[in-house]
Amino acid sequence: MTNFILRRLGQSLILLIIMSVIVFAGMYVISDPVAVMAGEDATDADREALARSFGLDQPLPIQYLTFLGNIARGDFGTSFVYGRPVLPLILERLPATLEVVLLAVVVGLLVGIPLGIYSGLNRRKVPTKIISLGTTVGYSIPNFWQALLFILIFAVWLRVLPASGRGPTTELFGIGWSILNAEGFRYVILPAANLSVALICMQTRLARSGTQEVMYQDYMMFARAKGIARPRLIGRHLLRNILIPIVTITGLELGTLIAFSTVTETVFSWPGIGKLLLDSIYRSDRPVVVAYMILITLMFVLINLVADILYAVLDPRIRYA
Amino acid sequence: MAPLLAIENLSIAYMLGDGRSAEAISDFSLRLERGRIAGIVGQSGAGKSTIGKAILGLLGENARITSGTITLDGTVITRFSEGEFAAIRGKRIGYIYQNPMTALNPVLSIGEQMIEAIEANTARRGEAARTYALELLKSAEVSHAEERLSKYPHQLSGGLCQRIVFAIAIAAQPDLIIADEPTTALDVTVQKAVLATLKRLACEQQIAIVLITHDMGVVFQMCDEVSVLCRGRLVEHGSTAQVIGAPRERYTKDLMAAIPSVDLKRDRFDVLDSFANTPGRRRGIAFLKSGIAAARGGEALLTVNGLSKTFDTRGRRAASGGFRALDDVGFEVFAGETLGIVGESGSGKSTIGRAILGLIEPDAGAGIAFQGRPIADMRSRRDRIALSRSLQCIFQDPYSSLNPRMSAGTNITYGIVAQGLISRAHAKVLAEDLLEVVGLPRQAAGRMPHAFSGGERQRIGIARALAFRPELIFCDEPTSALDVTVQAEILNLMKELQETLGLTLVFVSHDLAVVRQMCDRVIVMRAGRLVEEGRADQVLTYPRETYTRELLAAMPRIALEGAR
Repeated sequence: MTNFILRRLGQSLILLIIMSVIVFAGMYVISDPVAVMAGEDATDADREALARSFGLDQPLPIQYLTFLGNIARGDFGTSFVYGRPVLPLILERLPATLEVVLLAVVVGLLVGIPLGIYSGLNRRKVPTKIISLGTTVGYSIPNFWQALLFILIFAVWLRVLPASGRGPTTELFGIGWSILNAEGFRYVILPAANLSVALICMQTRLARSGTQEVMYQDYMMFARAKGIARPRLIGRHLLRNILIPIVTITGLELGTLIAFSTVTETVFSWPGIGKLLLDSIYRSDRPVVVAYMILITLMFVLINLVADILYAVLDPRIRYA
Repeated sequence: MAPLLAIENLSIAYMLGDGRSAEAISDFSLRLERGRIAGIVGQSGAGKSTIGKAILGLLGENARITSGTITLDGTVITRFSEGEFAAIRGKRIGYIYQNPMTALNPVLSIGEQMIEAIEANTARRGEAARTYALELLKSAEVSHAEERLSKYPHQLSGGLCQRIVFAIAIAAQPDLIIADEPTTALDVTVQKAVLATLKRLACEQQIAIVLITHDMGVVFQMCDEVSVLCRGRLVEHGSTAQVIGAPRERYTKDLMAAIPSVDLKRDRFDVLDSFANTPGRRRGIAFLKSGIAAARGGEALLTVNGLSKTFDTRGRRAASGGFRALDDVGFEVFAGETLGIVGESGSGKSTIGRAILGLIEPDAGAGIAFQGRPIADMRSRRDRIALSRSLQCIFQDPYSSLNPRMSAGTNITYGIVAQGLISRAHAKVLAEDLLEVVGLPRQAAGRMPHAFSGGERQRIGIARALAFRPELIFCDEPTSALDVTVQAEILNLMKELQETLGLTLVFVSHDLAVVRQMCDRVIVMRAGRLVEEGRADQVLTYPRETYTRELLAAMPRIALEGAR
């Protein structure tokens, strides 16, 4: 197992380097940060001075190597736009995204899995048909449109929840979380609900197809023949067997949501990292984008590693050599 | 006194999608006293398992008990709810399932699966349940009981898993055990030991057993009485000695006649073969004869020397070991003979076949020569095609070895058409001729594989192998997936073809009785090594090696005076 983890981390290092080259070169091709920073009425001399101060007058490979050298010292660069080190910039936005995404994932699992198991067990019942219709609709309606509906219903008509922004935060481990106080939590509800709709639909479907498959396995019949009561049959024999695909998808979704929940954050003006990424791309803030992508790649690698380790915990047949 | 289990005029129907229903069991009755073992035998699809499931209330959603009752110790259980059934399952009725490897949940430990059953069905909890689980494992003759509790099913052998299933079934000292083909998935030596355990447990605890099986040998060893089931109907019931020794019904007689014996070689099984001597069949046989070189006695067609195969089990750095599936195996196959390869599962039988057919690369140093030429040298495209034409295979599982999207006729000829051995226009007629050669009607060529029974599919598989007009056919357990009467038909067919065409066969089987019927010479494999070689009658009657003797002794035999 230790070997497996070390090998995976080694592979991810290669991945990180490839990733940074692509993003670095990509940002260089797309736009000229000097032009964006200097503005319309800057003189050529201004531009040159600006370029020199950020090291942008060097050829691209040199810029890249300088960048790598800085990273080795823990310096991810300085934002062109904010004029501040990139790493704290990203990290201070991260809690806002994390609290929304984690809440959405937990809700997705807690609602989706029971719904899926129920509809897998009772295929012909009316609630199953309603659930099935619901998941189809939930999948089909675009995310941003759902967000607008939520704002319209809960903020404009019913006036029970705030439409945008992040509420007051409470300190924990030196980081501000708005989810920890009642007022702040009200602000989290709509964006989290918006993200969780698709998750609920997906988990429901995964749990349903898993249930339908596992229920017909010999060991389920044998467990019934042993006299195992239904709660244990479902909660242990069935659940344990359907969790593997759910863990896989949840891992991937978690990463995607943290990295790219840009749409939801934009609609709800949520000050998370998705919004930071979007703003930085518009403003050609290359250090932010590159550092962001490296951190996100690292996060995906870690999430997948955790998912792989979870497989082995869930299914004793899986062993990594 | 009322019997423990009484089934009266039971009928069960399966509801079909279109509102109609198909009767699976009609008017079945059985009475069973404590401590007795009743066998239910019949071919696949006869409804044996349906009866077992009905007793436990485990019938599928689409099955209905249409009439009749099942009474357990004076209580009618036929109309029990799921909750009421849950209260007697495990406590009063134990269940032993056909395939022990799939009966246990793969992701839960053996200990958890035993302890949950004990806690559900007895008053023991926690540590007491664990101690009792150890006790049960010991009485089911599981060694290292303590250690097994922390294991998972995939880490244990089939025989061990089945003993654990036994231990679970007897946990609450039930009155009745339903054993559904309890040893079908096991090797003969394991089967013998497992059956002995079951019989001892039943005897000690006065448990009645309903033993569902297709194997008359198992019935003979185990049962006090037998019910013979055919298409859901009870055709004969009586004491084991009477039903096996002096069957009254035609169906039972046919069933008995189809059972191969390891002690006696018969020319043909006493079952009806219908080969109409049609022009098509004559043409097919003429085609085959023209391409298959007549056997020249005494000439070695295939020579195998120093054949070893190591499978890497630990990834790339396998220098330290790996699994040795074959270890320095050598033998010859002479033209026109049938060579049997016998051994238990995992002994390397199929691996030999794969190496000969070139489907796996043997370890360095192995020499396989066909007609005197090492097959390792046959690298050119022409050589490879010639070799694959000469060496054909009949597979174990007739359900997965035909392409389900091709008609029977196309299945037979697509190989020879692809290799350019015959034109597409001729292929159609040839396929029909070959179907007649293997005893199927010409019209069958247009039907898809799913429309055929297992035995018919195996006939198609044989026709496909024949179409190449091969010098040697490798038969990998060709009848192990078939019912005994169908097996008899297929074996008759293969003998017939071998005599007519002078085929050379390598016949792999775990069933010594089948090998006895089919083979001239035998090699016995054990854990990748060749342990004994010789004439079939010699090896299977006066074996020199202890292992072969053990195999023979473990075969369930029907040894009734005047039975044969």
